[in-house]
Amino acid sequence: MLPLWLQWVLWGILKAVLVLLFVTVNAIILIWLERKVSGHIQNRIGPLRVGGPAGVLQSFADIIKLLAKEDFFPKRGDPWVWWLAPSVAFAPALMVFFVLPIGPHLVVQDMNVGLLFIVAITSFSVLSVFMAGWGSNDKYSLIGAMRAGAQLFSYELPMVLALVAVTLATGTLNISEIVARQQGMWLIFPQFLAFLVFYIGAIAELNRTPFDLGEAESELVAGYHTEYSGIRWAMFMLGEYTNLLTSSILVSLVFLGGWSGPLLPGWVWVLIKAYLLIFVAMWIRWTLPRVRIDQLMDLGWKFLLPLSLLNIALTGVYMAVMA
Amino acid sequence: MSAQIVAFGLLGGLVLYSAWRVATAPLITHAALFLALTLVGVAGFFFMLQAEFLAVVQILVYVGAVMTVIIFAIMLSTPALIRSGERPTLIQQILSPRYGAIPLLVGVAVTLLLLLAYGTVSWDQVPLTFHPSSQFPGGSTAQGTTGLIGEALLTRYIVPFEVVSLLLLAAMVGAIVLAVEGSRGKEDEARD
Repeated sequence: MLPLWLQWVLWGILKAVLVLLFVTVNAIILIWLERKVSGHIQNRIGPLRVGGPAGVLQSFADIIKLLAKEDFFPKRGDPWVWWLAPSVAFAPALMVFFVLPIGPHLVVQDMNVGLLFIVAITSFSVLSVFMAGWGSNDKYSLIGAMRAGAQLFSYELPMVLALVAVTLATGTLNISEIVARQQGMWLIFPQFLAFLVFYIGAIAELNRTPFDLGEAESELVAGYHTEYSGIRWAMFMLGEYTNLLTSSILVSLVFLGGWSGPLLPGWVWVLIKAYLLIFVAMWIRWTLPRVRIDQLMDLGWKFLLPLSLLNIALTGVYMAVMA
Repeated sequence: MSAQIVAFGLLGGLVLYSAWRVATAPLITHAALFLALTLVGVAGFFFMLQAEFLAVVQILVYVGAVMTVIIFAIMLSTPALIRSGERPTLIQQILSPRYGAIPLLVGVAVTLLLLLAYGTVSWDQVPLTFHPSSQFPGGSTAQGTTGLIGEALLTRYIVPFEVVSLLLLAAMVGAIVLAVEGSRGKEDEARD
């Protein structure tokens, strides 16, 4: 029999590997899906014809290309900060999965303050963006980092406030509990304002196109990851797609009743709902043009923030009246 | 020697090292990043003490809010001023009074003070374990700390709680007043 601490460490490694596997497989599927959705919506010829049966081989070709690419370091960059930035971007995306239940009891660590934990961990993204922008020592990177930082900061606030109303309505921060409270009615109906604010905020946090000012390829080359190439750039991308997956799973758990659904097992329902939300996010990305920075800030501070505050007040009044 | 002690030692070393680097890093950006590492390490201590809520709030407030503001202050400064930092070697840093002796003295003094203060605490009541179900001395479990903190804040500590919220409101109003006056000045300049 192994000593207790070693068992603990080995279990931890096993769980981490499983989460990593889940995330990577999903990212490959998401990249394939993004190509197909963009191809169909914008009538792009490439994604509809290239890449073997149904284009599945394209993602694998991409992975091989990214692994084989030269790992370029800008001459006057800040080595440590530059090297660590992709990890700081990717590690929190993974850590969120440790408290995110995919099905009933299908969770690595069912934490009591799970919802708050996710909110706290995602706030690391500002740090990673800043590290990438600063470490590259490049004007495009720094401008992109500033924009992305301002954007993340402005949209984090209404998202958290939307979740405050959810917590008020359900009386718990445990995600499994929140799902359990939705047996009678999905939370999207009584908390529609919170859903609206959270979903718009989530798309903005993901730096996806109406809100991709941080990378804005027509003005900033690629924003804060201009100087990254090969596997390091891939880590940023992997982090971004993982965040897309986690935020969609979170929305489906918190607002769409999670694993409640007929016939199929719970985790299938969670994934179906999450992939539906992912499809909508892709639909939005390939349909809408990029907003200007002042429009972005106005939407965050003058529309979403007051709306989420109003929602908290309404929820509080309703709770007080019903109690 | 148990796993907890090892984990505590590693975490403590990390926090001490990064706190030292906050004070000695020649670049302000590095100091800011080490500050973030220190604060995350402290959150790790809270996790070890089974104060999940406190740990999460520590990350949320310090990494999510305070660090963001610091980073924005740095990014809005002139880059040339930030990057031109002289880099003394490690030995020079330890030997110089500003980086070595004075911080050491202050650190020892603070540690002694803390030890004196903590001398009144009975240490067997502090849970340093990884089992989330173990009982707290008060009879509650680790599961309930969030509710307990909330209850305490709104009953026993209601007055300090409200005073703090008033303080924050005043700070917010002040910030808005300053920002509005600043932008008014700009408009006048543009008109001239």
